[in-house]
Amino acid sequence: MLLDIVVIVLRETLEASILIGVLLCVSRTSQLGFSWLWPALVFGAAGAFIYAINLAGISELFDYAGQEIINAGLQLAIYGLLAAIIGIQFSAPASGRLSLKVLMAVAVAIAVTREGSELFVFYSGFLQSGDSLLTATTSGFIGLAVGMSAGALVYYSLAGQKMPLLRTLYTIVLALVAGGMMLQATGLLIQADWLSAGHPVWDTNSLLPEASVPGQVVYAVFGYEATPSQQEVIVYLVSILLIVGVVAIMKVRADRSHPNAKV
Amino acid sequence: MNTSRLLGLLLLLGAGNLQADKPVFTISIRDHLFYPAELEVPANQKIKLFIVNEDPTPEEFESYELNREKVIPGGSKTVIFVGPLKPGVYPFFGEFNMSTAQGKLIAR
Repeated sequence: MLLDIVVIVLRETLEASILIGVLLCVSRTSQLGFSWLWPALVFGAAGAFIYAINLAGISELFDYAGQEIINAGLQLAIYGLLAAIIGIQFSAPASGRLSLKVLMAVAVAIAVTREGSELFVFYSGFLQSGDSLLTATTSGFIGLAVGMSAGALVYYSLAGQKMPLLRTLYTIVLALVAGGMMLQATGLLIQADWLSAGHPVWDTNSLLPEASVPGQVVYAVFGYEATPSQQEVIVYLVSILLIVGVVAIMKVRADRSHPNAKV
Repeated sequence: MNTSRLLGLLLLLGAGNLQADKPVFTISIRDHLFYPAELEVPANQKIKLFIVNEDPTPEEFESYELNREKVIPGGSKTVIFVGPLKPGVYPFFGEFNMSTAQGKLIAR
């Protein structure tokens, strides 16, 4: 049970933690400081709490598809925010510094709301059942600590890189995280029967089992799906291509406005 | 759940529901166990799982094989659409009580 709790908390923490790690890198290279992170975490935690205490009611919306629809909406929002953050990185220098902070803060707040609400619901079970809340909390802190370490690891391994490479690296990571959000959102809409789906188009469980530890990590971070449907594959590819398109357009525009500057 | 209640439930769900054509299967969660723990479902068509959490504590229905994951607050009901499935066995579990809450769908 103890290890189960560590794993549950770790899984819910990992995605937000790695997103934060990458965004802190973006923030550092744009010299924006880290001050935006704290309100984002506070709003995220508050959002998670509100979502969690209303979860039973939310679940019943849209013919019991409320959770799927709201979570898919939140993931779509994170995708849009990450695409905008990537776009600003490649736009003309010194533009959109304040908006970049706001975009990053909102993205983190939404990510924490979505993942945190499940943790609040999970812990509410211990309050009701009278099981050892202390053990659960201690195990939870271990999970949280491991999750946060993963974010720190991403931050420090990225932050050590020099600029043109660094921007390429975090853009790739952000694009993959964003694509994963869209993949998961598509899966949720299929689960809610708002989208139809056929049989999985392939099965990579023999290469990387989804239930394995590395499988869980890439699921949490990049939305890895061993048996995706055609719809999920298409949405994922289109989502990534859209971001590539945003980068291309921004680079062309920045080159035009600053013909001599190397952007 | 007896047959008449299940029928009533089906009628209730069917009313005004666009997804009424999909077969519905009910799974209950009681004392961190799934009832039934093994459920035979038709292969090659989307089905509707109606999950009733009779426990006061929350549970998370999860399955890697089915690509499904959904939190079910204590004392509440939910719907999860599954499939279409190829014939085979699809395990699922309750993530919040993994040691006991285990079940499987058998698609035929």
